[in-house]
Parts: sequence; structure tokens; C-alpha cells
Amino acid sequence: MKKKKTNLTPYLYIIPGLLMVLGLVYIPVIVNLVYSLFHLSSYSSSMRFVGLDNYRRLFTNDTFPIMMRNNIYYCVISLIVQVGFGTFLALLLESKLAGERFKTICRNIYFIPSLVSLTAVGLMFNFIYNPQLGMLNALLKNIGMANLQQTWLGDKNLAIFCIIAMSQWQFTGYITLLMVVAFQNVPNDYVEAAIIDGAGPVRRALSIILPLAKEQLLVCTIITVIGAFKLFTEVYSTTVGGPGNSSQVLGLFLYQNAFLHDDMGMAAATGVLIFIITVTASIFQLKISRSGEV
Amino acid sequence: MKKNLKKTLSIGLAAMMALSLAGCGGSDTSATPAAGDTAAGGEASQAAPASGDVKTIKLFHRFPDDPCNAFIEKKIAEYEAAHPDIKFEVTSAQNQPYKEKIKVVVGSDECPDIFFSFCGEFSERFIREGLLMDLTPYLEADPEWKESLMETQMDEYTTADGMVYGIPFRLDAKEFFYNVDMFNDLGLEVPETWDDFIKVLDAIQASGVVPIAEGNQDKWPGAHYLGALNEQCVPDEVRAKDYDPKTGEFTDPGYVEAFKYYQQLVPYMNMGVNGMTHDMARLGFTNGQNAILFAELVEITNIKQENPDMNWGMFKFPVIEGAKGNPDLVSGAPEGFAISSKTAYPDECIEFLKWFLGPETGAQQAAEVGWFNASLGVDEGLTDPSLVSAYEVIANAKKMDIWFDNALYSTVCDEYLTQISDITNGDVTPEDAMAKIQKVAAEAQNLAQ
Repeated sequence: MKKKKTNLTPYLYIIPGLLMVLGLVYIPVIVNLVYSLFHLSSYSSSMRFVGLDNYRRLFTNDTFPIMMRNNIYYCVISLIVQVGFGTFLALLLESKLAGERFKTICRNIYFIPSLVSLTAVGLMFNFIYNPQLGMLNALLKNIGMANLQQTWLGDKNLAIFCIIAMSQWQFTGYITLLMVVAFQNVPNDYVEAAIIDGAGPVRRALSIILPLAKEQLLVCTIITVIGAFKLFTEVYSTTVGGPGNSSQVLGLFLYQNAFLHDDMGMAAATGVLIFIITVTASIFQLKISRSGEV
Repeated sequence: MKKNLKKTLSIGLAAMMALSLAGCGGSDTSATPAAGDTAAGGEASQAAPASGDVKTIKLFHRFPDDPCNAFIEKKIAEYEAAHPDIKFEVTSAQNQPYKEKIKVVVGSDECPDIFFSFCGEFSERFIREGLLMDLTPYLEADPEWKESLMETQMDEYTTADGMVYGIPFRLDAKEFFYNVDMFNDLGLEVPETWDDFIKVLDAIQASGVVPIAEGNQDKWPGAHYLGALNEQCVPDEVRAKDYDPKTGEFTDPGYVEAFKYYQQLVPYMNMGVNGMTHDMARLGFTNGQNAILFAELVEITNIKQENPDMNWGMFKFPVIEGAKGNPDLVSGAPEGFAISSKTAYPDECIEFLKWFLGPETGAQQAAEVGWFNASLGVDEGLTDPSLVSAYEVIANAKKMDIWFDNALYSTVCDEYLTQISDITNGDVTPEDAMAKIQKVAAEAQNLAQ
């Protein structure tokens, strides 16, 4: 009898958190799922049930393959540059190649871009990429490579890559910092033992440091992948999907449907798609990396 | 005892959390679909007047930049001083965010009493939901007020059924601006027909100057070209039918022709049209890098700021001879204020707009900001020749034709803008572009019901 009473207390403690998660995460997800079956706008007085028509319109939209392609480009390039190159930078920063002070300066330099607001970065790159007044074309001209000058954000084949490049500049340092922290948590004993066993820096990195920082690497991969499919501000603050639809991405498409095209249902359907993609990607990554095991 | 206290506390805390969350949940959901429910019963909930005798009127506009913002603030302060029982809560946002924000608030209980609204489809979507107040009875009741407003402009704020839903704050039209010195140096005359226009462009290009400044990164500047070309290439009735989302088809061959005329202009534009904003392109014109700019009258203020010494003039969109459309139309539309159908103070709002958009304030606005409202006689006492000529463009217009991007249903507009952007880059043919627009228009017929 007495035992049962004490068992109630932990659940009471859980309730507030549970309600919060329910109210702020799960219920909106479900409500969103419901909206995706209706035709409605942000100000309309009535909802019209359309079944799966929003999904049909989404998947048959001419922009759909372009958006998927752009999001996947962003995802793959970010994984290579941010996670791959970022981790490599972190290994260099944690290696014994450089002095402490130099490392600290580098860490800060790499990290600073990720502190700047996305919109500010977007505006800044708008100027850099400007075909007539921009820094990039001026630079190319001054180093005698005027034939490489482009209209950058105005070119349908280049626009999305210009945006992706901007993000790499901004966030590689962020991943580097996260990885540096993880590497610092690797017990020094292991590293020293490996040195005694005759392991060189490459072997130490591959066999000791990286496996022990696996969890952090996984976290970085997941945030990068999720970030790639939620991509919005970078595009909104530069090309807004243009020229044509060439740099359109899922997140911006969702937003434009919700607030420009009065098509909340379509926006909700896009939201559901993004949700499915990110959840699947996260589960997949957790599975293949066998999280929790060393 | 101690345990009991703990338990009571935790229950209390949990209850508090739950309650506060319920509060959040309530306001969250009302932001979207439930907004409709409140729209129906909105009058009841708003009927209770604010505390005391002070009536608070919420006003939302899209002119956060000076000198206009300062002018609005000054005028509202004057009005408040003269009417101690009225207090204004003014908020503003830039053009693009404004278009998004107003759609979210307009259906909710937070809807401003008076707000900026473009004429045409932008406002008519709100009218379909019963969110805008019908101003017709107030205008009928006060013939003096009605007659003081420019008819061509009020037409734009009137639905096909005759409901007036807004009063213009600034009048606007699109004209070609040209560098007079450059034209004189080359011995060029202002072109009146399309063929002459092309000859002028050739002559400018031959002199080594890039003729037209154009920046289409935000996609609407291109739409203004196409809007003007469609006016000339497509008969009025056909356009009226197509611009209505319920009957839009866009199958008239004139639309393809309009695209072809636009394609003719693209080689004369500066490099990287799609990679530059309109404002940046305008700098090319005001700096003398380009000779011609297709711009709005309200930009005169900007042109003067950017290069006060520049000698520029304006000419009307050249006439395409033999085209089937209407060459007399002037592209442009007034921009003005509407009143929410849910306002608790309709009479006070009307009183304010009569004054704020009236001749007296309008004359000051013309002098201080360089923008005109629709009251007759706001140009009296105007000395600046560029503003005088700008006013003439609008005063002489027999019929306005509202901005193309405001005339179209949202999804059709988006597709049209996308195709214009692709045509500018040479990535699509006019025929293919129109085929895509036709497809979206067919879908829109279904959505707009």
C-alpha cells in the first residue's frame, strides 16, 4: 500500500514536462497532419476537406524535383564540408602541431561567422555576389580572371550553390567547435597509450579520437541533415527561390504557400513531408552508427 | 506531513503548468483556422469599448522609412491632440513582410482597425471572407467627400459589384525615366512607338552605354513590364476574364506576343538582371551608367536623393502599333487604407481617414514626401517641376490598370513571376512559359472557389 503511494510522485513530476512536449511538439505535429488534408488560408473562415489533394499537388508540382534536388545538394555538401572538413579542422586544432595561443585564435576565427545573424549574412552576400558592384566579381577582375565573372545569384545553375557556399562559410566553424569540445573529452590516457604503442597522428585520430567522439559526430551529422531540410533563411534573404524557381527549397516553399499564396493546406503537406524526411534520416543515422555502443 | 506538503506542492505546480499551457494552446490555435470562427462572432467580442472614454484605434501601415514614416507620425500626433478621446496604436512593416503579416492578423482578434491594403486581388481575397468594411454608404452619405476624390483612382478601390473598400494614400504609375543629357548628346527623341523605342535603344547601345537599368531579383519588376505589355497585346475583356481566378485561362495568343516583346528588350538591359534588386539597378540609372529606367512615380523621391543634379525626364510606355490591346491604359494603382469590418469604431475611423487622406493633409504630403493622395487639388502650390509632371501623368490617365502582380491570383502570380524570371535568363521559350502558366491558372480555378 505504502509502496504504491510513493510510485505516484515521479509521475507528477513528469506531468509538466510531458504536457509541454505534448502541447508544443506532438499536438502541433498532429494538427498539422490534419490541416494537410484541408484547403484553407491563414484568414479564411472555412476549411474545405480535400483529402490527399494537397499531397498530389505537391508531388506533381514542377518545382518539387527542383526543391528536393536543392535540399539534397545542400545536405550532401554540408555533410562533406561542415562535418567532414569541420572535423578535420578540429583534429588539426587538437593535434600537437600548433601552439596553444594559435589554436585559440583559430578556434575563435572559425566560430565567429556562426554568431552573425542569418539575415545579416544573407544581406552581406547579396552585396558580395552583386554582378555589377559586388566584391566577388571585382576580385576576379583584379586577379585577372575576368572570364570567370558570373551573375551568381542571378544564374539559375549557380544560385543554389552560391547559397550553399554561404552556409558553409558560416557553419563549418560551428561544427569544428563542437568537435573540438568532444575531442577534449577523449581521455588523455588512451592517446598517450597509443603514442607509446607507436601510433602516428593519423592512426591516433582514426583509431582512438574519432571513435571516442562518435556520439558528437553523430549529433553534428543529425543537426546538419535536419538543418539541410529545414533550410529557409539563407534562401529567403538572398534569392527568394529565384531566378525562376531554380533555388527553391522545401522550407521556403512551405512559407510562401502559407503566407503568400493563402494555401495553408499545401504548406501543412510540405511540413509533413519535411517532418517525415528528417525523422527518417535521424532514425537511420542512429541505427547505422549504433549509438550508445563504443 | 512533510511528504504531504511536497505532494500538494507538486500537484499545485503541475496544475499551474497545465493551466498556463492551456492558455498558450488557446491562443495558438486561434491564429489559424479558428480565426474564421472569431470572424463570424467578432463583432460581439469587440463591441465592448476600451476602458474610460479613450478610444484606441490600431493602425498598421507599410511605410516604415522616412520621410513617410515621420510624416505619418506627425499627422497622427496632430490628430490625437485635436481629438483627446482618440488614441492611435501605430505599427508598420516593410512591404514584403507587411504582405505576410497583414494576412495573419487580419482574420484574428488582433486585426488593426485601419490598415494599408493594396487594391485588387490583394484586398478582394479579404472581401470574400467579409473582413473589410464597406465604405460605400459613408461615401453616399457625404457627397462632398465623395466628389473630392479622384474618380479614376477610386475606381481601383471599387469591386465589380460597386463596393468601395479603400481610400488612396498615394497615387502611383509606371513610366520610363530617361537621362535627358544622354538623349540630347546622342540627338535622340523620346520614342512614342515600339519601333522607335527599339531604334533609340540601338542608338544608345551603339554609343557604348547599356540602355536599360533593370534588376529583377525580387521578381516583381519584370512583372511590371509584362503587365504593361499585356495591356497592349491582350484585349481588355480577355484580361479581365483571365485575371479573375475563377475564369482565368491565359490562352489568348497576345500573352505569348507580350513575352516576345519583353524578350526583345532583354539584350538591352544591364548584365545580371536576375542577380540584382530594383533599387540597385536604379543606382545604375542615377549614376549615369544606364540611360533608361522603368520605374514608379513614387521613386522620384529616391531618384532625387540618389542624384539631385541629374537631368531626367519621363515618357509613357511606347505604343505597339497593330497590337490588339488597349494602348491608353496607364500601369499603376493607388495604394491606400481600408477599415476592418470588425472595428468597434467605424465612425471614428471614417472621420480620421477623411482628414488623413483629405486635401489638406494631401497637399502637405505632396510637398513634404513627394507623394499624392487622391483628393483633388493636392497639386496646388506645387512648384517642383518633376512632381508637377508626375501628377499630370496620373491626372491625365483615363483609366488605370493595376499592378500586374496585384491583379493576379497568388499562385498564378507566382508562376508568372517565375516564368518572367526564366525568360529574362533565356531559359524558357514564351510558348512553354505560357503553357506552364495556363496549367497553374486551371488549378487556381479550383482553388479560388
